[in-house]
Amino acid sequence: MDDRIDEGRFRELLEESDDLQSDAMQTARRDLGRYVEAAQEAREEESLPRSYRMPMAAAAVGALGVAALVAAPSAFAAGASDDVKALQTAAGIENLAVLTYKTALTLDFIGGASANGVVKAFAVKTMQQHTDHAMAFNAAVTKLGGKAQAATDPKYTPIVTAAVPTLKAPLDVVGLAITLEDVAAQTYVADVGLVSTADLRQLFASVAGVESQHRAILLAVQALLKGNAADLIALPPDASKLPAAAGSVGFPSSFYATSMAAPITEGAVA
Amino acid sequence: MIGKRKPATPEMAISEHELNSMTGELEMLHKETFPGVAKMLEEFSANLSHLITKESTGRRGFLAGLGGLAVVGGLTACGSSSKATSPSSASPSASSSVSSAAASKYTGDLKVVALAAALENLAVTAYKGALTMAGQNKLGTVPPAIATFVTTAMGQHADHAQAWNGVLSKANLPTVTGAPLTITAGQVAMLNAATSVPDVAKLALSLENAAAATYTFAAANVSDAGGIMTAATIQPVETMHAAILNFVLGQYPVPLSFIGIDAAVMPSAFTG
Repeated sequence: MDDRIDEGRFRELLEESDDLQSDAMQTARRDLGRYVEAAQEAREEESLPRSYRMPMAAAAVGALGVAALVAAPSAFAAGASDDVKALQTAAGIENLAVLTYKTALTLDFIGGASANGVVKAFAVKTMQQHTDHAMAFNAAVTKLGGKAQAATDPKYTPIVTAAVPTLKAPLDVVGLAITLEDVAAQTYVADVGLVSTADLRQLFASVAGVESQHRAILLAVQALLKGNAADLIALPPDASKLPAAAGSVGFPSSFYATSMAAPITEGAVA
Repeated sequence: MIGKRKPATPEMAISEHELNSMTGELEMLHKETFPGVAKMLEEFSANLSHLITKESTGRRGFLAGLGGLAVVGGLTACGSSSKATSPSSASPSASSSVSSAAASKYTGDLKVVALAAALENLAVTAYKGALTMAGQNKLGTVPPAIATFVTTAMGQHADHAQAWNGVLSKANLPTVTGAPLTITAGQVAMLNAATSVPDVAKLALSLENAAAATYTFAAANVSDAGGIMTAATIQPVETMHAAILNFVLGQYPVPLSFIGIDAAVMPSAFTG
């Protein structure tokens, strides 16, 4: 395949991305740390006599900067177990995504000599980003006293396992990846409305936005592959030759759906 | 970015038929997802209706106290408004889109709603202005995929604006029809200064990133469940726009593992 991208330039782009990534990871760890502290304080507060509770709640608010906790500290504590389940389920989905990209990279047409360089690099980078997500989710689970989810999502793992032998061309892999990215994004969008704290809502939203970006690029790649225009999968692409539909295929709807969202219990572990 | 490669020979203008066909497909998809969002917005409106008659709560005080954060992410460094004359008929009003009498009524969650509507209007205006400039041959040859991107993204931002304004209407507040934001003049100046498709793409990318960050912030800081979910369902769409723009500009399309809020436009930037 004709990979227009210059390897040196691509390395540069990845390095720039890694620098940004480092900053973003620091922010994510800080947000998670604050969430965990507040959740732990809320749990301790629940074990105190009622007359002592508000000062503790106020301390949690100070740590998070989230005034909503003042209104409902008990609701926050009550939601902590569901939060752990949601985080474990999310970690399971991420683990499956990592496994899927790792498997795909063993295929010659994705990770080998015949692969499109951009597709290969995208698979490597995306696998790393899913690893980051899994680590973040599991770190929060562990600090909250839950058990880290080391396994892959129980619902979609058999589907991926069954699909692997049928992956004969890039389009097959891209299709499978689109499904997984969409499930992840929909799950996290739904989780934003289910978890109990502002920081956790922010975490799920921040990851949902990234999974949807993976999906957008994969949808564009899928359209180019289907249109026998694999040579246009390049950075930068030859914009003048891109089919008109390539400009919109990556974002098919004005609002992100949640109908395929995994329930929070799907990947929960006791 | 595109400029790093020698532009190919200009070719292909998007046909009206192509646009109509794609618009039809997109409308169909839109209809599949919009009912759920409309339901959330109905609930959001119902929950917010008390805000126009009651004093602010601690949460709303928190939001009001965010004034010092202002706007970051490069949006404030866009130059003065001295060149803010629109290149087209698409320039948004930064000051007259809502009546001054109504301005004080946008408080708490509703201020975030008004901010979101204004931000969406700004995006619509930027894309509309870009199309107008393209029609005036001010941007060079516009590849058909870019034209499609602009048209589609503009339509989706219009949907978002309509959704947010629906909440304001149901709360008996004036809708936000312009872009009364502290960043508007700078963005319009940037659009006026654009001379190429990559110039416009960079401006659009900045707006999309700001919108995504703003909705990430809103998902955490709006107190109403319907509002939270509305922000959550719009945010990924903005990040998808950003990914495609990054791709077209020759930048890595998914540069971060987490969408941050550093580029968020804070409620204090809303001037309506």
